[in-house]
Amino acid sequence: MEETARNGLAVETRELTRSFGVRKALNNITFELPEGAFLSIFGPNGAGKTTLVKVLTTLLNPSSGTARVSGYDVVNDAVELRHHIGLISHNPLLYPDLTAEENLLFFAEMYGLKDPKGRVNKLLADVELDHRRLDVTGTFSRGMLQRLSIARALLHKPDVLFLDEPYSGLDPHAMDILDGLIAQIRGEHTFVMISHDLDKGLELCSHALILASGKVVLFEERQNIDVRTFRETYRATVGTGVA
Amino acid sequence: MERSNSWRQFKAILRKDLVMELRTKEMVTSMGLYALLTMVVYQIALAEAGDTFDVRLVMPGLIWVAFIFMSMLGLNRSFVHEKDQGCMDALLLSPVDRPVIFFAKFAGNLLFLMVVELLSLPVFSFLFLQGRAGIGNPIWLLGVVLLGASIGISGVGTLLATMTVNTKGKDVMLSVLFVPLMYPLLRAAVGATFAAVIGGPGTVQTFWLFMAWVAGFDVIMVLVAYGLYEFVVGV
Amino acid sequence: MKRNLLAEIMLGLGGLLTSAAFFMTFFWAAPSSYPDGRVDFAQKIFYFHVPVAEASFLVFIFTAFYGIKFLTTRERIYDTKARIATEVTLFFVLLTMATGILWTKVEWGVWWQWEPRLTTYFILTLLVIAYFVLRNSVEDEEKRAVYASAFGILAFIDAPISFFITRWLNSIHPVVFGAGNSSGLEPPMLITFIIAQVGMLMLGYAFYQLRLREEELKERLEALKIEIGD
Repeated sequence: MEETARNGLAVETRELTRSFGVRKALNNITFELPEGAFLSIFGPNGAGKTTLVKVLTTLLNPSSGTARVSGYDVVNDAVELRHHIGLISHNPLLYPDLTAEENLLFFAEMYGLKDPKGRVNKLLADVELDHRRLDVTGTFSRGMLQRLSIARALLHKPDVLFLDEPYSGLDPHAMDILDGLIAQIRGEHTFVMISHDLDKGLELCSHALILASGKVVLFEERQNIDVRTFRETYRATVGTGVA
Repeated sequence: MERSNSWRQFKAILRKDLVMELRTKEMVTSMGLYALLTMVVYQIALAEAGDTFDVRLVMPGLIWVAFIFMSMLGLNRSFVHEKDQGCMDALLLSPVDRPVIFFAKFAGNLLFLMVVELLSLPVFSFLFLQGRAGIGNPIWLLGVVLLGASIGISGVGTLLATMTVNTKGKDVMLSVLFVPLMYPLLRAAVGATFAAVIGGPGTVQTFWLFMAWVAGFDVIMVLVAYGLYEFVVGV
Repeated sequence: MKRNLLAEIMLGLGGLLTSAAFFMTFFWAAPSSYPDGRVDFAQKIFYFHVPVAEASFLVFIFTAFYGIKFLTTRERIYDTKARIATEVTLFFVLLTMATGILWTKVEWGVWWQWEPRLTTYFILTLLVIAYFVLRNSVEDEEKRAVYASAFGILAFIDAPISFFITRWLNSIHPVVFGAGNSSGLEPPMLITFIIAQVGMLMLGYAFYQLRLREEELKERLEALKIEIGD
């Protein structure tokens, strides 16, 4: 097993750029996120938030610059890195025609887990979906789907969890449950969350990042952030019409 | 450390597609229904041709027309499943080599297509060939051409459907790209089917000559599709 | 950006040569005749039809070539080059079809024959049109470029297979070259043909370069707009 440069950083980007022709979806992004942190990424539509997460999760390659997640390079160690990251999106990323159990077992196979059955049982219990394990997920409510998708993302015990607007489309009750689940696992993972909701994002995060036009406008630890000036900075980026 | 294993992943994707299909029967039903509908249309098309007309002369063309259009229904469905709730992203996010996805989806599509083809051939002969001259050559030759051509259809189709599911017109787009690319394969498949159906001296040899074209197309085009797959899923 | 002088010279020269070939066709190259001695006047379209057809396929090579280059480098310019090569291909393919149909009508008495070259060109036309339909139906620019490159490569490999299988099946199209040791053409005919062919390739090159320059200017404009927007 190759030794990785962990140095206590969960995410590390250096002049990360992704461009096509003259358009730059990501422009010279450099930041470092320590292990165990919770990063909230804010920014208007089209600012590059999704692209950044896609690059960090190996779905897209950067045009230049480098990024390491959990010590692995997103280009050179992509396959290895995928063992160490999970994604929870507003899309459930589950097959509606498979049962809850089949869905998890399928992804357990994809990750090559040693004891898929045992791991799936444990996770179904954790997200309190034991009783629905044999139902196809097409019949699940939005909140249940979100819980199951968290179980899917945690199957292989990832170091870094990416959250792509996980709260969007959830009713207040489901939001509470999601809050609870995130609080439970907070200590075990590093989180990177895309958020539209300033309050929610600031409430959860230890670090905040504002993107606009593919550039980092602000990257700061939560404790150094004054909420009012932060709000103004955010509003200014949305207001410039770069969205 | 837990390792991912390509063979295990291949089986997992294929099994997942089979379980889904056995549960919903969505692809096989829609493809089979489509095949039945084309046969009604064929009855209309042949209505004025008279009783003495030898249907075997046009049968190879008719069945391949039905199969090519039917295959596109299945291919399109197969990737709409992956696209609908973002499952393709989840798949790409897992530690799987992209060709594994290609070959697993390819195998699943091939299987479903073959099943519907094998079901609809007897129906075709029941409806159109009763009381007429039978199949001239051993019937297993038909199985060979079905398999050969379906490999090319599913292989290239898997690549194209992966792209077209992300386009505006989805199914229409698939047919625009797919049909002209399939021309040489279909032409050879019809030739081989014709040789198998008509029978007589020299037709077995003709059959294998056409099959050589089918095999050549399969090898070249499926290899190219496989080579291009990684690029296509990487955006 | 400098003017592309070479392309402009090629445009002028190509126009001159094809026009010259046009006159040579009628006033210098002897008309060929049928085996029974009648004059085969329709054969004259050969000096236009074949150069156009060959130009179309030569340009199509660049669609595949730049498609591969794009996929391996992800430089947008290669996608632009592939697209323009395909545009020029479409132009030549349509001219080939039009002249081919005219000739078929005169020579065989029908407008259309499912004959190897015509069939291949019919398929090629559909493939080239499909390439543009595909581009129009993908919104994301990079996705569009990747898909178009992949399809361009597939189409480029598919077209010759179509050609060889139809030719293998049955060929009733005149095979002018490669049938025997000599080309079967009298010197004036051959010279006329070569001039037409060279002229047509020059035109193809000029169309390609001038269109490319137009696209590059568009992209520069876009870049400036983004710069100002910042």
